Amino acid sequence: MSVGRRTPLWRRALLHTLLGVLAVVTLVPFLWLILASLKNKEDFSRSMFLPPGDAPGTIGWDRLTLENYHNLFDLGFGGAFLNSVFYSSTTAVLATLICAAAGYALAKFRFRGRNGVTLGVLALIVLPPTLLIAPGYELLYHLGLLDTVPGLILPFLAPAFGVFLFRQAVTQSVPDQLLEAARMDGCSEVEIFFAIALPLIRPMVGAFLLITFLGMWNNFISPQIVLQSSDKQPLSVAIAQLRGLYRSDYGLMMAGTVVSIAPVAVLFLMLQKQFISGLTTGAVKG
Amino acid sequence: MRVITIVTSARGLSLGLWVMIGLMLASMGVLFKARHHSSDASDAVVFWLFSPEHRQLYVPLLENAADMGRPLDMQLMSIAAIERRMMSGFFGGLPTADLIEVERAVIGRAFTGPLESVGFLDLTDRLHAEGLLDEINPPSFGPVTSRGRIFGLPHDVHPVLLAYRSDIVEAAGIDLSTVETWDDYFTAVAPLMADANNDGEPDRWALSFWPTQLDNIEVLMLQGGGELFDADERPVLNAPRNAELLAEIVSWCVGPDRVAVDIEDFSATGHQQRIDGYAIGYLCPDWMCAIWKLQIPQLAGKVKVIPLPAFEPGGRRTSVRGGTMLGIPKDGSDIELAWKYAKLLYTSPEVARQMYELTDIISPVRSLWDDPVYHQPDPFFSNQPKGALYIEQAPSVPVRTSSPYNRQAVFLLRDAAVELADYAKRTQTGEPESLRSEAARLLDRAQASITRVMERNAFSSVRTEDGGPQ
Amino acid sequence: MAAGIAKSRVPQRAAWIFLAPFALIVLVFVLYPLVQSTVLAFQQTYGPGTKTFVGTANFTSMMTDPVFWTAVRNTVVYTLGSLFIQLPLALLLAMALNSPKLRGRGVYRLIFFSPQLMGLVFVSILAGLMFEKRAGLINQTLQTLLGWAWTPPGLGSWLDLPWLESHVMATLILISLWMYVGFNMIYFLAALQSVDDTLLEAAEIDGAGPIGRFRHVILPAIRPVGSFVVMLSMIGSLQLFELPYVLLDGSGGPGNQGLTVVMYLYQSGFEVGDLGYASAIGWVLAIMLIGLALLQLWIVRRDEA
Repeated sequence: MSVGRRTPLWRRALLHTLLGVLAVVTLVPFLWLILASLKNKEDFSRSMFLPPGDAPGTIGWDRLTLENYHNLFDLGFGGAFLNSVFYSSTTAVLATLICAAAGYALAKFRFRGRNGVTLGVLALIVLPPTLLIAPGYELLYHLGLLDTVPGLILPFLAPAFGVFLFRQAVTQSVPDQLLEAARMDGCSEVEIFFAIALPLIRPMVGAFLLITFLGMWNNFISPQIVLQSSDKQPLSVAIAQLRGLYRSDYGLMMAGTVVSIAPVAVLFLMLQKQFISGLTTGAVKG
Repeated sequence: MRVITIVTSARGLSLGLWVMIGLMLASMGVLFKARHHSSDASDAVVFWLFSPEHRQLYVPLLENAADMGRPLDMQLMSIAAIERRMMSGFFGGLPTADLIEVERAVIGRAFTGPLESVGFLDLTDRLHAEGLLDEINPPSFGPVTSRGRIFGLPHDVHPVLLAYRSDIVEAAGIDLSTVETWDDYFTAVAPLMADANNDGEPDRWALSFWPTQLDNIEVLMLQGGGELFDADERPVLNAPRNAELLAEIVSWCVGPDRVAVDIEDFSATGHQQRIDGYAIGYLCPDWMCAIWKLQIPQLAGKVKVIPLPAFEPGGRRTSVRGGTMLGIPKDGSDIELAWKYAKLLYTSPEVARQMYELTDIISPVRSLWDDPVYHQPDPFFSNQPKGALYIEQAPSVPVRTSSPYNRQAVFLLRDAAVELADYAKRTQTGEPESLRSEAARLLDRAQASITRVMERNAFSSVRTEDGGPQ
Repeated sequence: MAAGIAKSRVPQRAAWIFLAPFALIVLVFVLYPLVQSTVLAFQQTYGPGTKTFVGTANFTSMMTDPVFWTAVRNTVVYTLGSLFIQLPLALLLAMALNSPKLRGRGVYRLIFFSPQLMGLVFVSILAGLMFEKRAGLINQTLQTLLGWAWTPPGLGSWLDLPWLESHVMATLILISLWMYVGFNMIYFLAALQSVDDTLLEAAEIDGAGPIGRFRHVILPAIRPVGSFVVMLSMIGSLQLFELPYVLLDGSGGPGNQGLTVVMYLYQSGFEVGDLGYASAIGWVLAIMLIGLALLQLWIVRRDEA
């Protein structure tokens, strides 16, 4: 009867202490990162977190500065930021639509070859992406797509696990009767997909958008290989190059890192619930 | 009617989808606008370089230079970024830059494939025609020459001298001016290796060197006439001379006659040990002088340089470490203009002079060696005319290979040196003569290893076995 | 009647319209390169433009290539580290957070998950600064916490602890711990939902201790998700690239201590220009992955039987 019984106070206190310590350990790097990005060089070496004030034992709040961020954007980081937003959002929207459509087809249509396609999708999930790095590069070379935006984005528009996730979601939340009723009303298949199926699997759409957005935002090896000109580089490559040149300029590196993770953090906080449920769908129900 | 249904139900689509689409359109718009603006601005000759110091040197020169037609756009990026963008350009047939300044370790990369797919312009004939081949110190061409063709303009000579703590040496009444060989040197400074604090080890050591120091092993091997690759770029790690040298330099670090100690080149700990005089002598290329001045100003007036002691009487008194070159990619927008800029930057007396003042690096252009700047007393080096001392040794600098496998070979050499030192400790043998056969065995193994790697390269015309040409 | 015909005919065609974009991209950007990678594995190239057939030379020289084996060893060490340190910790954390009565459960969950948001590149940049010798947060903290009592022999102070010079693998495992424990915890949390409370109570009444309850009730219930998570972190760990690549400035670090298989694949293909050797490495890695997956499947089956 564990429901009725209360856990002893000391055990709860111990649990909270342990979890609290772990939470602090998890968060301290973020805190250090943000504060360091707001300090000048001198204060960085003088203090671990907040810079000391003029009087001993006080905190020099007025010493915090946005100078590192200014320097960062003077170095052309703004362009890389825009590139990242563009690549990630485009990939997210297109990949979500393509996977949702394919998952919908596999879930709701009986057609010849359906089992074969489903099996193929499952097999592709297991395929390690690193196997395709070298031949993929060769293909882009022959297609003339090296150092182009399509060359970067196209290979990421059809992740097999996305099709699988959407197939699960559609099977669970889109009733056949509703589709039949719409067909009776004379709706076209495309209308049915956009007006009925997609809204019903809204949580999965949100989760998958975030998953693909994050994937492209954090992608490093592909832009590193495919893109060559400096004005096309996304944040991930730009910041790695910054490290090669200004590695001792801590404040600048930290500011670059803050700029790189801030938008993702905002998006995540917006879509947190759907994201986590989307992630676990494949594992728990699959 | 149906359209309305779709539009209204679209509000039922995920909020995230609309946010994403918004982001996509907004960023697309801004990017399109930005590209549109910048496309007409770039008429410049593009120059990739990795050294902020170099850029600093070139800026005033370019301001005062006669009108070259199109301006030079210097783009600073890390060595790794240059390497990656250069190679991905060469591999993928993508445009790179009009001029690229690369570090010696990177240049070999461009030479792995067939000669005709080297991405840099072959400068051999131009250098001949314009007499630059004779004007530039010949050994400097080594690392930029592949299979007999020259693919870059060398930036430096980088001779190595022995820097030593003159304050300590002179206070003990020791005179190093007559030192000719390493044995002479170790004998001369032996009195300084006393153990005053009775911890069982000398308080100071004669030389900073250790079998783990990758670059310094190469420095000493090159000085002593060791070779990792022959003139045809075949690996010769197991040459008898290499075994002799390896046994000799490892013997410095082991046994009762040990004279060397491990001091890191660039770390704070290493700098502190230099200040403490933990070692008397240091293998010091010209560029290292500027680093010492900047990072260990405490040594000002306490150090001097002499030519490296030779391995045998009459032997070579210098070596070489590091280096940079300027290359012109074949597919540049205007090769003639790039060549003009290359000559301006690399043969101008002003740049050479300022390069010495800022970085202590001497120019490879021989006609500039008379410049008074090299003969000025250098207060950091106890008022020696340091530049002239480096220049004196510049013609004797050993010629280096451009083999793309050199780096790997040096790693193998380092591994052999470390193992040889272990062997010496294990068997308690410290004499060079008794280490020689083990050194030869270890180098045979290294040779086999590098041969295996090179034989994999189906494009190279280099034959690794002794069978001669194909 | 008419509706019946429409029902069977229209969706047939419509299905392929919905599938077409996916199928087209997979065909061009996945299946074609997959076939091509088998061809490339028997070739040597200098960039994509210059190539020659070399038979099985790529595979035979890989077997005697010491750098490749160093990379394999490092990758395996990292994978074992993430399996045997990370996953048990993630499970413990999930069990601690599982009680619905725990206050602040959602907040804890969010906090532990948060590092996962940062891409590996950005984590590497941050970690590079945190593990720096003198100014880094890690060494400063160690010095503050432990410096007064004890310093490892051979070091002047904790500030000199050379993480990125001599303890590369340990550094990588620590970083991935910070990054992935919360991520894996999410899966275990989801799995713990399927633990039957009545079974737990029955076990408790039977006098089973916490360890007994864990072994006989919890573990069987979370086994399916557990094996999925093991698979996921194995696949991820074996393909480690960005973290060491950025942390060690594109090299394998001193003595190739931090070189992984995918890093070596990258170096071979895109620095040396040999896409053939890179493809061969890719295939060996793929075969290793598939082999491990089968092994895993076999173990799970055997345990169930």
